[in-house]
Amino acid sequence: MAVAATHVGGGIADHVHPEPQGFIRRYVFSIDHKIIGIQYLITGFIFLVLAGLLAEVIRTQLMNANGGFVSNNTYNEVYSVHGSAMVWLVVIPLMTGAFGNFVMPLQLGARDVAFPWLNMISFWMFPVAGLMLFSSFLMGAPVAGWTEYPPMSLQGEAGTSMWCAAIFLVGISSTLTGMNFMVTILKMRAPGMTLTRMPLFVWAQLATAPLSMVATTALAGALAALFMERQFGVPFFDPTKGGSPLLWQHMFWFYSHPAVYIMILPAFGMISEILPTFARKPIFGYKMIAFSSVTIALAGFMVWAHHMFTSGLAPFMQLPFMLLTFVIAVPTGVKIFSWITTLWGGKIHFTSAMLFAIGFVVLFALGGITGIFLASVPTDLHLHGTYFVVAHFHYVLVGGSLMGIFAGFYYWFPKMSGRMMNETLGKWHFWLFVAGFNGTFLPMHWLGFEGMPRRVAVYDPQFQFWNRVESVSSYVMTFAILLFFVNILVSLRRGKKAGPNPWKARTLEWQIPSPPHYYNFKHVPTVYGLPYDFSEPLPYRGLEDELTDAPAPVPAGAH
Amino acid sequence: MVEKESSVKGLGPGFWPFTGLLTLLAIANIYFWAVTPLSRWMPTAVTVATQIDELFRVFLAVGIALFIYILGYAIFFSIVFRARKDDPPDALGVQIHDNHKLELWWTVLPTIAVILISWASVRVWFPIQIASASTPAGLVVESIGHQWFYTFRYPGINGEVTGNMHLPVGEPVTLNVSSEDVIHSFWVPAMRLKQDMVPGLINVMRFTTDRVGRYRIICTEFCGVEHGVMNKQYLVIEPKAQFDAWYHGWQVKNATASNALPQISSAPIDLSDGSAAAGQVLFSQKCSACHAIAPFSKRIVGPGLKGVLHDPAHPNLLSGKPATPANVAEILQHGLQGSYGQMPTQVQNALTDKDIANLVAYLNTLK
Repeated sequence: MAVAATHVGGGIADHVHPEPQGFIRRYVFSIDHKIIGIQYLITGFIFLVLAGLLAEVIRTQLMNANGGFVSNNTYNEVYSVHGSAMVWLVVIPLMTGAFGNFVMPLQLGARDVAFPWLNMISFWMFPVAGLMLFSSFLMGAPVAGWTEYPPMSLQGEAGTSMWCAAIFLVGISSTLTGMNFMVTILKMRAPGMTLTRMPLFVWAQLATAPLSMVATTALAGALAALFMERQFGVPFFDPTKGGSPLLWQHMFWFYSHPAVYIMILPAFGMISEILPTFARKPIFGYKMIAFSSVTIALAGFMVWAHHMFTSGLAPFMQLPFMLLTFVIAVPTGVKIFSWITTLWGGKIHFTSAMLFAIGFVVLFALGGITGIFLASVPTDLHLHGTYFVVAHFHYVLVGGSLMGIFAGFYYWFPKMSGRMMNETLGKWHFWLFVAGFNGTFLPMHWLGFEGMPRRVAVYDPQFQFWNRVESVSSYVMTFAILLFFVNILVSLRRGKKAGPNPWKARTLEWQIPSPPHYYNFKHVPTVYGLPYDFSEPLPYRGLEDELTDAPAPVPAGAH
Repeated sequence: MVEKESSVKGLGPGFWPFTGLLTLLAIANIYFWAVTPLSRWMPTAVTVATQIDELFRVFLAVGIALFIYILGYAIFFSIVFRARKDDPPDALGVQIHDNHKLELWWTVLPTIAVILISWASVRVWFPIQIASASTPAGLVVESIGHQWFYTFRYPGINGEVTGNMHLPVGEPVTLNVSSEDVIHSFWVPAMRLKQDMVPGLINVMRFTTDRVGRYRIICTEFCGVEHGVMNKQYLVIEPKAQFDAWYHGWQVKNATASNALPQISSAPIDLSDGSAAAGQVLFSQKCSACHAIAPFSKRIVGPGLKGVLHDPAHPNLLSGKPATPANVAEILQHGLQGSYGQMPTQVQNALTDKDIANLVAYLNTLK
């Protein structure tokens, strides 16, 4: 055990380990949750750029109804790797690995996660899996989309097997991280931090962790089966040999529907931190927001077959899945109403983080509303497999998750780097991104309704006008993201010094220097209340030395 | 610090007039969808399409109205409650944590809304997916997905029909869809209906044709390099006389075609020398996906088959005939559209007469 914080007589021993000195131990094979978080962040952003470029190949191909930018087969490879990379190499690792790792232990008042070595191992599986996934282009990348339905995926070239292995690996990483976070949150909270005093971002990670732990194992089983069928001919899915194509769909969606919540719940948590900080008022309905995250996570396990309404489920099976899916609208609605009410009566400061947070609420709400159309069997019979679905999940995953990642990044960048982001560039980023995003994905709703199926390299010429609008808008969106990365690079060198708490926020991570010391806290604080009462003194004791020259805790002997 | 907190009179400046404006917009939106049929953008070719469209319009009316409020208040509160230049730097918003009455309302109201949309959905879902199974099948047509085209089978036409799919107007149709290679999908946007064509599985669509016209059939499940052009065939709904002429043309054409599919003979199968051991192997390959070796009530898709020939509680088969080897063989030969789903025919299951004899011998050993 590296940085163990053990409960001793109701408090936590001020027990730390010496900071590693060599470059490799400090920054490469680090076991410090903050470094690992930043490693996830950088790796995730690199994959965001790569998968984003693939998205531009898609949009460029679709400028013309008869395609022509790349071959049909290349196009199929490109969107399959785009989707897989965005889900498994960008959004999930950024939500849990990056922000969860960096922020969550600090907000808990812990010195690290429960299993720091495991954390390091989880991280290193992720870039390896990413390289494996992109290397599949060298051997014929997967073509059947991120869902890889057999028997189509049984026909794919060797890269499809590589895809299985890559996703299997990143899945293990995600499972281990979920386990690690679960134990950390349940066992390593600072004294006095009861569950109902935890910041909402921690609540969101607590709701996400069991999803990563349990659901990902179903995916691992499915991937192992697909791999064995492709490589060794074990007939799990091929109906001509007695397999069942629907078995894959059940196993895949048993994972991938909860995965939707792995990708969005942490963003809910970020928004719940950012809105009160910049509205200068308590989050509205703390318990309802915390409770609804848990409700959504639990209900998320019971709705997977709503992805399969047209697949050939027994018709009566459609009913429970439809109704349970509708039920999720209630806790989701509670969250959206609570966030909007948090704005009411505030003193709102429109920083870039706040703009992205408000944008998140609105765009995610639209993604949620279109979800109703897909959850209802009769309307889904029309919309399934069309661009309406593409519009829906991009509103949730880009308008929702990615906007959340941007909001969280603008918010926590000063804590990570000790410097402020450039706000002017940040606002350009926001407005261009929102304009480009809506231009790209809004028309997909009616294109899908009017008959444009998804995953097509060429399409009916009647749809060309709106596809061109989408493609041009997508370039605007890409330019906005370019501004974001320019902003990061400029701010890292020239950004204003942030100081410990530039946003006057009240969670624990803002009460210590930016960037925090290796050991996080000089003394583990004691917590007396929720972090959202802006008119009250801070609800912590034991933080007096944090911003002074008081000596760092003395490392205990090596273990 | 308390004096730096904002205080807001009532619900804040302009709240009620703005709420009024949003409500007007929401009502205008609801009115628009109440009077605008979706056939303005997309024709309806079958009767259920109109019912599905009504559900679409309910969702559009409610969903867009809800979005008007969310977007409206997000922008309005952002403007009204923005921090101003002359505020003290540490000015705070109103320090409220919650309001149980409000939270109760916005849990109860969405719950009621969920119950209403559930009811509206089930009302349309039940006749399409459940009740239609017990109405007369009407014209039974099959469509098979291939990489990258559809073929069709009609009762009385030898082998497969290629090109467009023709149906007479005003008739109930049962369309069984399947695939011979990968998963495809049969979608006619004008029908608002779609089923995946899954190899090894027969999915059923039931509808009544309603409007003469040519409607595109589109594949929506990725099926390979030419997936994007698997949209070149049409569903042609036409008056009965024209349909009959087309139908007769195919009957003549396929009568002489050499590629006609094997036909199921109407003669009963000789069950005398079936091998139970061979039947057991076959059962695990061809039957066990849908049937368990378990009592009748243990269904996978079809009923459990343990003791199918020796169960006093179920003296009759689902075909309504007594449980005898010959009647079991008949189901294996000709298939069965039972209340539990579709039992494939001998041809669909690729069973020889000898295979059927073996399977019956095996089933006879289960007691």
